[in-house]
Amino acid sequence: MKTPLFAFGLAVGVAFAGAAQADKLDDVISSGTLRCAVVLDFPPMGSRDADNKPIGFDVDYCEDLAKALGVKAEVVETTFPERIPALMSGRVDVAVASTSDTLERAKTVGFSIPYYAFENAVVAGSRAEGVASFEDLKGKTVGATAGTYEAIWLEERVKEWGSGTFRPYQNQADVFLALSQGQLDATVSTVEVAEANVKSGKFAGIRIVDKAPMVPDYVALITLREEYGMINYLNLFVNQQVRTGRYVELYKKWVSETGEPANLTINGVYR
Amino acid sequence: MFNYNFRWNQALNSLPRMLEGALVTMEIALLSMAIGVSVAILLTLCRLSGNRILSAIATTWVEIARNTPALFQIYMAHFGLGGFGIHLSPYVSLLIGIAFNNAGYLAENFRGALKAIPETQTRAGRSLGLSQLQAFRHIILPQMLRIAFLPMTNQMVWAILMTSLGAVVAMNTDLYGVTSDLNARTFRTFELFAIAAVIFYVITKAITLSARLIAARLFRY
Repeated sequence: MKTPLFAFGLAVGVAFAGAAQADKLDDVISSGTLRCAVVLDFPPMGSRDADNKPIGFDVDYCEDLAKALGVKAEVVETTFPERIPALMSGRVDVAVASTSDTLERAKTVGFSIPYYAFENAVVAGSRAEGVASFEDLKGKTVGATAGTYEAIWLEERVKEWGSGTFRPYQNQADVFLALSQGQLDATVSTVEVAEANVKSGKFAGIRIVDKAPMVPDYVALITLREEYGMINYLNLFVNQQVRTGRYVELYKKWVSETGEPANLTINGVYR
Repeated sequence: MFNYNFRWNQALNSLPRMLEGALVTMEIALLSMAIGVSVAILLTLCRLSGNRILSAIATTWVEIARNTPALFQIYMAHFGLGGFGIHLSPYVSLLIGIAFNNAGYLAENFRGALKAIPETQTRAGRSLGLSQLQAFRHIILPQMLRIAFLPMTNQMVWAILMTSLGAVVAMNTDLYGVTSDLNARTFRTFELFAIAAVIFYVITKAITLSARLIAARLFRY
């Protein structure tokens, strides 16, 4: 009598133990919802339309990913610094938030292969009449959006020069406000953001003067460091987006109808 | 579900930088208190002066400082003045913002303290031949500062905590600024902010304890 009961118990136990080992990928599929962290004050990657609905490259990318997984997409708005706490506290499953894949950060989170790459431009403000190239920024007061790849890069350059000041403002709008007020001489921002802000006419006296001489800012999808199943899926997903032409399609929809999206492969190395 | 593995190695490596930031935080708080107390005494004098314009200025200052967020005050010191072509560095903007806030709150503390001092003391002083200002300086002010001493430590603690608002004006050398910069680089959010919280706690605790010791020495009857 006791043996079958025991065997049954063991079987149930093993089944549950198996279920307990389900990883993030399984959790997402069984919950029926994919929760993505997206930064919504970063057009054209993420912003809100007139009806306050999230739109942008990253929003569509999240929806594509959810469709591939066969689940519903839920966009969770975060700021750049909030992406990681949102991920760590389990409020989101992945972040589709233009996250630069630095080696320093890879010690903490799990990166997919790059899904987009930004070029950066030097934008001069109303006070900096003489600035014509990146080299002219030496000794000047420069700034960028705190926590971004270009901010970290620019701060390093200022340290290298040993002169001038670097100021990290909290958001894109403050950087350009400071620029048009003349509190900053120049900033480095993605070409997409720079062009959008110059075109908007909201910030008097700003102009794009040069390309920033930096390695393109490759950005990747992120999830928890130990979620290999998910990372593996994300890698294949990014590959498929490019393969099927969806990458070009999204680029033309959100970034530029005439331009070419950045090449996501790097010559001479495997990954 | 909190799915996080605490890994302290990277965060602990940055401890020296964070302690440097803590020094800057204390420096700003101390300076802002020195400015704040001086201005608050001036504001109190303005209110006592009986001059309509002076007391209107003092009241406006106190009303704005106490009834708007400190974040707003600091932001205005940077971007508000910037709109008029007055460009202050992040350090100075933060210092002025906090000092402005301190002055407003302390002026109210001083007003409360004054209420506790019988008005007859000023009159007694005047009848002994002191001028209005002398009576204030020698009789009222020492008692006022004594009564307001503990509220002043309170404001000092507040000033320490307010330095974290410097991030909105691109301040990056204070404790919060350093921490959020390290966070952007390493993404070790919870470890770094836990360390920052402990440092903040130690500083503020040290302030309240030393204030109590100072009070015990200074105010022995």
